[in-house]
Amino acid sequence: MTRPARQLALAFRFALREMRGGLSGFAIFLACIALGVAAIGGVNSVARSIGDGVAAQGQPLLGGDLRFRLNQREAEAPELAFLRATGEVSHSASMRSMARLSDGSDQALVEVKAVDDPYPLYGTLVTEPALDRDALLSERAGSFGAAAPELLFERLGLKVGDRIMLGNASFELRAELMSEPDAVSEGFGFAPRLLVSLEGLRASGLVVAGSLVEHSYKLRLAPGTGDARLERVEAEARAAFPEAGWSIRTRSNAAPALSANIERFSQFLTLVGLTSLVVGGVGVANAVRAYLDGKRGVIASFKSLGASGSFVFTVYLVQTMLIAAIGIAIGLVLAVLMPFAASGALQAIIPVPAEAGIYPAALALAATFGILVTLAFAVLPLGRARDVPATALFRELGFEGRGRPRLVYIATAAGIALALGALAILTAHDRRIAVTFVGATLLSFLVLRLVAFLVQWLARKAPRLNSTALRLAVGNIHRPGALTPSVVLALGLGLTLLVTLALIDGNLRRQISDSLPEKAPNFFFVDIQGADVDAFSTLVTRESPQGTLVKVPMLRGRVIALNGTDVRDLDIPPEGAWVLRGDRGLTYEAEQPRNASLSGGSWWPKDYAGEPLVSFSAQEGEELGLAVGDTVTVNVLGRNVTARIANFRQVQWETLGINFVMVFSPNTFAGAPHSWLATLSDGAATVSDDARILNAVTRAFPAVTTVRVKDALDIVNQLVGELGTAIRAAAAVALISSVLVLAGALAAGNRARIHDAVVLKTLGATRRTLISAFALEYMLLGLATAVFALAAGGVAAWYVVTRIMTLPSQFSAEVALATTVLALVLTVGIGLIGTWRVLGHKAAPVLRNL
Amino acid sequence: MTEAVIELENVSLTLGEGASSVHVLKNIHLTVRQGEIAGIVGPSGSGKSTLLMVLAGLERVDDGRVSIAGVTLNDRSEDEIAAFRGRNIGIVFQSFHLIPNMTALENVAVPLELAGHPDPFKVAEQELAAVGLSERLTHYPGELSGGEQQRVAIARALAPSPPILIADEPTGNLDQATGRQITDLLFSKAAERGMTLVLVTHDPALAARCSRRIAIRSGRIEAEPMLTATA
Repeated sequence: MTRPARQLALAFRFALREMRGGLSGFAIFLACIALGVAAIGGVNSVARSIGDGVAAQGQPLLGGDLRFRLNQREAEAPELAFLRATGEVSHSASMRSMARLSDGSDQALVEVKAVDDPYPLYGTLVTEPALDRDALLSERAGSFGAAAPELLFERLGLKVGDRIMLGNASFELRAELMSEPDAVSEGFGFAPRLLVSLEGLRASGLVVAGSLVEHSYKLRLAPGTGDARLERVEAEARAAFPEAGWSIRTRSNAAPALSANIERFSQFLTLVGLTSLVVGGVGVANAVRAYLDGKRGVIASFKSLGASGSFVFTVYLVQTMLIAAIGIAIGLVLAVLMPFAASGALQAIIPVPAEAGIYPAALALAATFGILVTLAFAVLPLGRARDVPATALFRELGFEGRGRPRLVYIATAAGIALALGALAILTAHDRRIAVTFVGATLLSFLVLRLVAFLVQWLARKAPRLNSTALRLAVGNIHRPGALTPSVVLALGLGLTLLVTLALIDGNLRRQISDSLPEKAPNFFFVDIQGADVDAFSTLVTRESPQGTLVKVPMLRGRVIALNGTDVRDLDIPPEGAWVLRGDRGLTYEAEQPRNASLSGGSWWPKDYAGEPLVSFSAQEGEELGLAVGDTVTVNVLGRNVTARIANFRQVQWETLGINFVMVFSPNTFAGAPHSWLATLSDGAATVSDDARILNAVTRAFPAVTTVRVKDALDIVNQLVGELGTAIRAAAAVALISSVLVLAGALAAGNRARIHDAVVLKTLGATRRTLISAFALEYMLLGLATAVFALAAGGVAAWYVVTRIMTLPSQFSAEVALATTVLALVLTVGIGLIGTWRVLGHKAAPVLRNL
Repeated sequence: MTEAVIELENVSLTLGEGASSVHVLKNIHLTVRQGEIAGIVGPSGSGKSTLLMVLAGLERVDDGRVSIAGVTLNDRSEDEIAAFRGRNIGIVFQSFHLIPNMTALENVAVPLELAGHPDPFKVAEQELAAVGLSERLTHYPGELSGGEQQRVAIARALAPSPPILIADEPTGNLDQATGRQITDLLFSKAAERGMTLVLVTHDPALAARCSRRIAIRSGRIEAEPMLTATA
């Protein structure tokens, strides 16, 4: 065995002997590491279990091995022939429309899905009662069949067997729709599903040229067809029909939006988990420091017996890592259990069968974070212990360390912290957010150190106070070995994160529930046919004389290329990618809209007839790296149209008015069939006015789809609420770490406090004076930390809200008050619980040991 | 005359900095020969313990030369001195300083393990038997009496067979009878093995049993009366 190996083996042996004393004093250390590792490992395991579920269930989720989706048109004969030659085809069409009661007295927005006989190619459609396709959807006695979820029955007060109108056709609700295998890949629906047959949809008369309808052609290939074959089919389809404008998706990427959202959310939760781990790191440092303080005699003895400083360091490093390993193991066990526990709960939210299992990569990542955090926080106290002088054994003076640890340990700790930051960034889905997070954490640490220093400096400089309790409290804040740095650091990080998340959440909610509806229109009307526009305007103006009706032509199209380069070959930053994903609403305007200000270029002349031009939204254009003069190719109704960017417009998305990323010159789509989109803004309209307008429009124009903005916002609000709950739960994990560390720091301080209390009692201090002094000290510390947390969290939230979400930011007095109260309750509460025990100590035994 | 194992030449040491600095040792000249039993005596704060720390290589001097067992310590690194100490100097403390989570046997084996001894536990067992603690091998320090703990400490100091034994008030924490037993043990073991023993004591009776008495006052060695060892 080589000498270093022998030394390491010996260090292990000594470490194990030393640990016979048990793990008392390490409860906080273990809890912090276990909590952080469990959070990171668990979140990533759950995310991967959903990812695996999506991957394993690709066929039923997509409804086929391949899906070809077309906008506003059915596949043409050659396209259909190509699909049929490739495999079994199932055709479905989906659109939003209004379902009305037969007597026209009430109506509801529905997401119509019309299916053919082979549907579903994979998976099972579950209805209650269970009916075969013919019994469920075919025409009987003048009515087509339909199925809908319970929500629609509730909304319109219907029961199975009742009839509704969709467009011009009558539908009998023959069953309740329990589960639709391909729901996830269909995207997010604002309204309940109405499942009908393609014949039924055709009979409704809703599908006319320009209607916003999506046609999906799902293919089942021979069993055992590999992914390579699917990719070949996709490539062949693109090559054979370059202008089809269809979006092609394979079973291996059945629900990309869901997958991306899960990944994004798990990244966010991982960062919150990492915050909890970093906060816990302070607890690790405190525990290691306290443990080594108790071991200084042993360390000095080792040195007097011939142990080198580096050997001493190794012995205690091994102990620290062994304890960390126990914490990590506990965390990993919890993380392993999490997907199993979550799969049931998640079923209700995400209709994907999560594949509960053990995910080694997720667990390894969590364990690595656990190890790095332990090392980053333990190296400095360990380095200081290395320099415990053996001379202390002679002097019986205690074992105060000599100032700051050696440079090599400071550099090592900094290096490990860097590695930790690098790992967080490299494993993140969105590096920009991860870099911001790592930077903010580092900055918070430095600033919290500074705050602690400042608080101590102020306490030192405070004038002599008349109140004994206050004088003692202020003295306790700045004396050597004071709790100030650990309390400020431990509580500060957790509170800052909480304030940041609370303010972001608050701003988001206010944006949706308060400020939006003031500016937002009451209704969106979709699919108004060109021939109906005038009659529609007359009706709406009559029903809402004081309202403002805005109408624009509306087409759907997909961006195919930028400057002639296929968008699939472009490297687009995530914030601008949504523009290129799926179909966008398109419009044309002869004149510059009144509410639009140009930030570059100029609007085209009123009777412009040259090459197609487009006005692009300024922010999105910048994100995509576009400039005036660049070209954008969109596929509309199976035709590729290339337009040159004439100008950039400032678009205020949050107004929820009619906004388009791209507004084209009118000649671009000359002759293309299209419908109109309208909004009605009527600030004075009451709920019953809204109901009357909605009913009148639906009665007169059954094909027009009406979306009441308030209803849509309620759904968004509910979603944000659910997200907010998840975010708050995550923040709670970080706060628990904070509280644990705080409790640990305060408990460590109690040893010194017993000494002080006993001496002060001997000198005539009453319990009341002592309690007041301790309470005041905790209160001052809690207050200072809360002020910092509010300032730092306020800045962080402002940055996220204004810069990343580009929304107006506002500080919340409730958050400020709640944070301050929480900080005071935690510091004074936990502090006094410990202090109560201190005051109960008998003087004599302590005095004997003084 | 036997060879000198401890040689201090013109050693001075100041502890602390600035206004709080104390000139603890002043121009100390000291030679201790192999097999001598030297007692360092003096009032509190005179520099006795500091002198012992210098001899153990635990405190670096500002001026002068420190040579122990033929090795000049002045220019050695901290880790070199630690390894040297492990082989050449055994130390017995007033408060024993046993490692609480190790058994008596393991405590004694520590310096041997650190020195890479091939069979540390066999030697440790023999040393504990030699101090009369064969029955206490697996006991932890907390389970031993003060006298027993100090015996373990002596066995630990003797285990690597160092040429020099240093003891800081070895009976200071013990009652009179136990203290006498410990002194007997220490003196007899040093004599048996031809070790040099340097101890610090406040106890005149203990000082009287040493072959040399080195009186120190205000950091200086006073003239030495010639004594005869009584051990």
